[in-house]
Amino acid sequence: MHRGLRFYFCIYRKILAQDLKSKMSYRADFIISTIGMICTNISGFLSFWILFQNFPSVGGWSYYEMLFLYGFSLVAMTPVQCLLDNNWSLRYQVFSGDFVKYCFRPMNLFFYYQSEVFDVKGLGQMVFGIGTLIYAWVHLELACTAWMVLKLVVYLVSASLVMAALQNAAAASCFWIENSFYLLDLVMRFKDYAKYPMTIFNPVFRFVFTFVLPIAFIAYYPSLVILRPEAVPLLSWLSPLIAILLFYLSYKIWMKGAAGYSGTGS
Amino acid sequence: MKWKKYLSLTRAGILEALQYRLGLFVMVIGNLIYLIIVYFLWRAIYASAGTDVVNGMTFSDTLIYLVLATALFAFMEMYIVWEMGRSIQTGAITLTLLKPMSYRSYSFWNCAGGVIVQFFCTFLPTFLVVLLVTKGAIPLGINLLYFAVSVILSVSINFSIDLFVGTICMYTESIWGINIMKQVVVLLLSGATIPLAFFPEPLKTIAYCLPFQSIYNAPLSLLLTANPQPSVIAETLGMQLVWSIVTMGFSRLFWQVSLRRITVNGG
Repeated sequence: MHRGLRFYFCIYRKILAQDLKSKMSYRADFIISTIGMICTNISGFLSFWILFQNFPSVGGWSYYEMLFLYGFSLVAMTPVQCLLDNNWSLRYQVFSGDFVKYCFRPMNLFFYYQSEVFDVKGLGQMVFGIGTLIYAWVHLELACTAWMVLKLVVYLVSASLVMAALQNAAAASCFWIENSFYLLDLVMRFKDYAKYPMTIFNPVFRFVFTFVLPIAFIAYYPSLVILRPEAVPLLSWLSPLIAILLFYLSYKIWMKGAAGYSGTGS
Repeated sequence: MKWKKYLSLTRAGILEALQYRLGLFVMVIGNLIYLIIVYFLWRAIYASAGTDVVNGMTFSDTLIYLVLATALFAFMEMYIVWEMGRSIQTGAITLTLLKPMSYRSYSFWNCAGGVIVQFFCTFLPTFLVVLLVTKGAIPLGINLLYFAVSVILSVSINFSIDLFVGTICMYTESIWGINIMKQVVVLLLSGATIPLAFFPEPLKTIAYCLPFQSIYNAPLSLLLTANPQPSVIAETLGMQLVWSIVTMGFSRLFWQVSLRRITVNGG
C-alpha cells in the first residue's frame, strides 16, 4: 500500500490522540515512570561526577567531553524511546495472536504497529539530555553557530537511526525465536555502553564495537564531528549513511518477519 | 518432610531457568561485553590517574570488585518485582495466595531455583576467570568462608528489598517505574557501579548508612581482604545480619498490611 506522507501524518495524529487519552487515565503510572526515568539519568550523571572527583580525565577525555557524549546518547535515544516503544510488546502480541489485527489494515504495517504507542516519559529523558548537552557545550566553549547546530541535529538523527535499527532487529527476532526479551534487553544495555569514547579500547574491540556490534555509532562517531572538529575520522562523516542503511535493513527484517507471520489460529 | 515442598519448588525453578537456554546464552554474552567495557574503561581511568593506588584500591582491586559485583548482581537478580507486578495486574496472584504456604516463602523458594542456576552459569565461571586472569589478586583462605556467609545474607537482604518494592505494585500498578527506580538506587548506592571507596565524603557516609551497601560492598570487601581484623568481620557481618532482619521485618509487615487492601482485576 502506498499512500502519501500527508495521509500518514494525519493518521498518526489521530492514533496519538487516542493513545494519550488512554494514558491519561493512568496518571500515577505516568508520574512514577517519569520519576524513574529521571532517577536513571541522575544516577548516570552522578556516576560521572563521582568518577571525576577521583580522576582528572579518562584516556584523554575530560569531564565535560564525557558529559557531552552522555547527553548526546540520551537525546539520541529519545526517538526510539518515544516512537518505537511498542517493540517491547511485540513478542507478547505475536505469541498471543493479537498481532494479526495489524495485518489487516490498509497501510504500512510497521508504521501502524509503532504508531499505536507513544511513550511520553521519553520526553523527560530528552529534556535531561539536552540540559546535559548544553551544560557541557558551554563549559567546553564550543562555538554556537547555525552550522554547528545543524551538524548536531543531523548527527543526532543518525545516531537515533542506529539505535532504532538495533532495537527493531532485536524485537523482530521474536518472529523466529522464543524469548526474544533477552536480545531486546541486551540492545537496551548498548545504550549505556555507548557513552564511552572508543579510544579507550584496544584495536580488536574498537573493530568489534564499530563493525560487529555498532555501539560506536550511537554516540561516539557522530559526536566527534562536534566535539573534535579538527580531526574527524572518515567513519564519523559516513555515519549518517551507515545509519540509514542499518535502519533500512532492520525495517526489512521486521517486515519480513511480519509478512511470514501466520497467526496462532485463535 | 517439611522441607519437601520447598525443595520441589526450587527444583521447578531450576527446570524453568534451564528451559530458556538461549536466554542464558544471550545473558552470558551481554555480561561479557559489559566486562570488556569495564576492563578498558578502568584501565584508561587508572592510566590517566598517574598513580597505581587510588583511594586504597589498585587497578586489579577495582576490576575484581566491579566484575564480581556485576556477577553478584546477575546471580541475585530474580525479577521478583516484575513477577509480582505482573501477577498483581493479571490477577494470577490469587492462585499463589490460595496455596497452603505463605506468599513470601513460595516466591523465595521458587526463585531459589533460578538463583542456583545463575550461580553456576554466571557467578562461578566469572569468579574462576577473574581468579585466573588476576593471578592471585584474590586471596584464597578463610576469607572465602566469610564471603560465602556474607553472600547468603546479601541474597536475603536483596530478596526482602525486592519483595518490599514488589508490594508497592499493589498500590500503583506502575511496574516499570517502580522497578527502574529500585534498580538505579540499588546499583548506585551499593557500590556496584563505582566502588564505594571512590565516593566523596557526604555521599559515602550516606551510602554506608543505607542497607544497599550490605548487598554488594560487604561481601566484596570481605573477599578482597586476605587477613581481615576480627572486629571488621564481626562489624560487616553483624551489620548485614541487622539489615537482613530489619528489611525482612519491614517487607513482611508491609506485605501483610497491603494484603488487606488487595484488589485483583478478575483473573
